[in-house]
Amino acid sequence: MIAASRPRGEAAPSVPALEAMRQAATVTDSSSVPAARRRRSWSALLWVVPAFGMYGVFVLFPMLQSVQYSFYDWDGIGPATPAGLDNWKAIFTQPELLQAVVHAFVLVVFYTVLPVGLGLVAASFIRELRPGAFSTTARVVLFVPQVLPLVAAGIAWTWMYSSDGLVNQVLRAVGLDQYTRAWLGDLAFALPAVGVIGVWVMLGFCTVLLLAGIGKIDPALYEAARLEGAGRVGEFFAVTLPGLRRELVVCTTFTIIAALASFDVVQVATQGGPGYQTMVPGVQIYRLTFLQQHVGQASALAVFLAVVVLVVIWPIQRLGREK
Amino acid sequence: MRSLIHYRRNLRATGVAAVAALLLAACAPGGTSEAGPVPSKPASTSIGSEPVPLKLLVTSGVDVPFYTALGKLFHAKHGNVTVKVENQDYATLTTTIARTLAGDNVPDLVRVPQLGNLTKDHLLLSLDPYVEAYGWNAWPQSQFASTRVGPDGTQRGTGSLYAAGAGFGLTGVYYNKALAQRIGMTRPPATVAEFEQLLAKAKDAGLQPIMTNGKDGGSVYPLQNLMISYAGDAQAVQDWNYTKPGASIDNAATVKGATTLQRWGRAGYLPADANDIDQTRAPAEFIKGNGVFFPSGNWQAPNLDKTAPGQFGFFLFPPDVAGGPSYAMTAAANLGIPAKSQNADVAAAFLDFVQTDQQARQETVTLGGLVPAGPTDAPAPTTPEGSAVAATVNAFQKLLKSNGLVGFMADATASIHVNSLVPQTQLLLAGKTTPEAFAAKVQSDYERDLGR
Repeated sequence: MIAASRPRGEAAPSVPALEAMRQAATVTDSSSVPAARRRRSWSALLWVVPAFGMYGVFVLFPMLQSVQYSFYDWDGIGPATPAGLDNWKAIFTQPELLQAVVHAFVLVVFYTVLPVGLGLVAASFIRELRPGAFSTTARVVLFVPQVLPLVAAGIAWTWMYSSDGLVNQVLRAVGLDQYTRAWLGDLAFALPAVGVIGVWVMLGFCTVLLLAGIGKIDPALYEAARLEGAGRVGEFFAVTLPGLRRELVVCTTFTIIAALASFDVVQVATQGGPGYQTMVPGVQIYRLTFLQQHVGQASALAVFLAVVVLVVIWPIQRLGREK
Repeated sequence: MRSLIHYRRNLRATGVAAVAALLLAACAPGGTSEAGPVPSKPASTSIGSEPVPLKLLVTSGVDVPFYTALGKLFHAKHGNVTVKVENQDYATLTTTIARTLAGDNVPDLVRVPQLGNLTKDHLLLSLDPYVEAYGWNAWPQSQFASTRVGPDGTQRGTGSLYAAGAGFGLTGVYYNKALAQRIGMTRPPATVAEFEQLLAKAKDAGLQPIMTNGKDGGSVYPLQNLMISYAGDAQAVQDWNYTKPGASIDNAATVKGATTLQRWGRAGYLPADANDIDQTRAPAEFIKGNGVFFPSGNWQAPNLDKTAPGQFGFFLFPPDVAGGPSYAMTAAANLGIPAKSQNADVAAAFLDFVQTDQQARQETVTLGGLVPAGPTDAPAPTTPEGSAVAATVNAFQKLLKSNGLVGFMADATASIHVNSLVPQTQLLLAGKTTPEAFAAKVQSDYERDLGR
């Protein structure tokens, strides 16, 4: 009864407090005595308190604190002085800060669009493979980047991208000498090069998640599509794609957040350079906080980034909920 | 469904209450604004006889065996003091030092990468009483300039002393002796123009004239040297480094220096992928023979000598006019005494010891790769003849007397290096900015950093 009233795919609670409340709500719905309902509802609230307390202390409070800091000029240690809207104005007037946000959106193409697209293709192919050594190997190979720490991935790719690295060796081997370059040191190619690292990391995650989603699609649907004479492509658009709506929403949401809030790969591979070509808000916030000790400015940029992420994520979530 | 709405209402009420509580309690974040410096404790040069654990926090890597050795020497002299060396990597220490010193478990001596707000926030002890007690004021004073901080807590080069160190870094130009011979270099270039001719000869001979790590700021060294050479003296740059009011590098010397560096980049005197070479790869490439010249610092010298003894030389960056003064960038490996240290007197004794003791000064060169300064009559450390280390030590002694030591522009403000100098130099080498725009941009970033 409870399970049936809960929409599919929300079984894994992202926020414990909300899930507890949702459950409590469902339970009381089934009760018919108003007095009992009232008593139960209060006791249910009691169950929420510990989770909500933790959530409040470790998530809500720091968030509100960041908002508060963003209106101060503070070095993190000494006295703070009110700064009004200066920190917020700087985001829109300092070209380097706004440019970093733009770069984050360029990374969305590499962290989200390409991995989700390629992930769909890969998952569709792997689905058709008979379960066996090859299919397992394919999954493992695609998923391994997800297991590696991003810092390690960044270092490994830095070597591959260097003048004598693997990428240039391959180009030379196939006679494309004129295209070799120090990829991460090239003003035009540094950001796409960082983006490709993102593709490599995110592709495995998307493929595995989408494969799991495909596994849940009723095989009868595929059979029906075949009987109706649908080819591979038709089958993909008629059955696979609609069946993966929720998984696609999760993939897109997760990877967009990873793109907009990226830090590790950039910090390790390019430190924002050459010039300002790969600077992203994550690295800016880190530098502002720990190097420049401008906690107020860093907080303003962090809150701004969080709002940008929410604004981008929100319509995607809506899309996932529609019937 | 009604109960859900009911819950939502409750939740909203709780939320409003939480925000209200926060706003009510919201005073400005951070500490209180106590005025004035930390009252100096009565300084004493006595170490006593009670057992004292002296805790050092230094940077990871070569610093650990170096300070451990210094600690052993100190323990040998003062048996009741046991030196314990802890370490954090440079980047971590830079980002956590303020928190560490504000906490309860502070070290007695800490490697200070940058003074930043440490003095303004009263986290470091003023060493003035010890300067007096140990007679450091009779030593050449240029060695202490970079760690003096004025009463405003920002301007350096004047005011109270907050850190001192065992030894100094020093920049110049390394050269590969064999390759230099091949291009007919018989003596270090006397002028910038002569240096440029050598670069052209190297290029013609099919060699890589200069190796540099443009990815993390190695190309800023020759640029700063060019600026000083063209200016004829280091005053403007030094004022700028110490954030003296009105200091500016948006001037003709900077534009000329940037023009020269850009020209060198275009002519292929710098590696085509300079912006992708970091500080690990550059010395490795230079050792391999990729590069006749390598503008860098004395911290490279021990490794160069170890890998290929006697094969690498070192000279100071040439002046613009023959016979003009030479300059080099320098920075001390500074140690400060945290304001909360329980053993400040012993810590100060250790600082005096590492600058004056003969064995300690020898270890500073041998293990630390740094040049000790100290008093004028201090024992000079011995170095193998013809080694790169010997060349750097000699150059330092010469500059200490001629007042030719200048701080790194990178240390002017906390972020000028990563946010301005490095990216702007990269853009300069890539031809994406002009020398004039370069000078103006670095200056405006600097002024913004300082809130001017």
